[in-house]
Amino acid sequence: MGRALPIANQIRRLRFEHGEMTQSELAEKIGMTRQTVAAIEAGKYSPSLEAAFRIAHVFGASLDDVFQWVG
Amino acid sequence: MSFREKSAWITLVTVLVCFGVYFSVLVMHIHARRAPASPLFTLHWLLLSVAALAVLQLGAMFVAARTTPKDGRAAADERERLIQLRSQSLGYHVLTVLALLLFVPIHFRHSALDMANFALLAVVVSVMTVAVAQIVMFRRGY
Repeated sequence: MGRALPIANQIRRLRFEHGEMTQSELAEKIGMTRQTVAAIEAGKYSPSLEAAFRIAHVFGASLDDVFQWVG
Repeated sequence: MSFREKSAWITLVTVLVCFGVYFSVLVMHIHARRAPASPLFTLHWLLLSVAALAVLQLGAMFVAARTTPKDGRAAADERERLIQLRSQSLGYHVLTVLALLLFVPIHFRHSALDMANFALLAVVVSVMTVAVAQIVMFRRGY
C-alpha cells in the first residue's frame, strides 16, 4: 500500500496554469475517468506512454515538462 | 466513486448477503435435523438465492448508474482495465486452489450434493475475492 512511484508530475500546476482546468475536464480531454487522473496526479498510478503523451498534448508541453523521473 | 468501484461494492455485498443466507440456511437445516438437506430443499434455496442476487444486483446497478456522474460512467480506461485484469487473475488463482481442495472432502464420503455446494462455495469465494481486490485497488489508486 502507498508505494511511492519513481515518477513525479506537474499536472496539478499545469491544470492551474490552464485556466484552473478541473480533473474532470482533463479526464474528458484524454479519454479517462476523473479517478484515474486523480490517481496519476497523486503519483499513485503511472500512466501508459500513450496516456502520458495525451496529457502533455493537452497542456501543449513536452513529456519532460509534465513527468520527471525521480528514481 | 466511479461506477466500476460501485459495481465492485454491489457485487461484494449482494453475493455476501444472498449466498450467506443460502449457506446459513443449509448449515442450520443440517444442524436442526441432524441429516443432510434434501436435493429439492437445496435446489429451492439455490434458485431463491440466485433470483434474489439477480434482482438485487440489477436494482443496485440501476441506482448506481443513475447516481454516478457522467465522467464516472465513461468506458473503462487503462487503469480500470488493469485493475479488472489483476483482480480477475487473483480470483482465478483462488478458484484454482479451491477447486483442487475439492479433492479433500471426497475422502470423507460427502454426497454429490455436498460436493456441488463445496464447488459453489469455491465460486462464491473467488467472486468475492475479485470484488475485494478491485475495491482495494480502486481505493489506493491502483
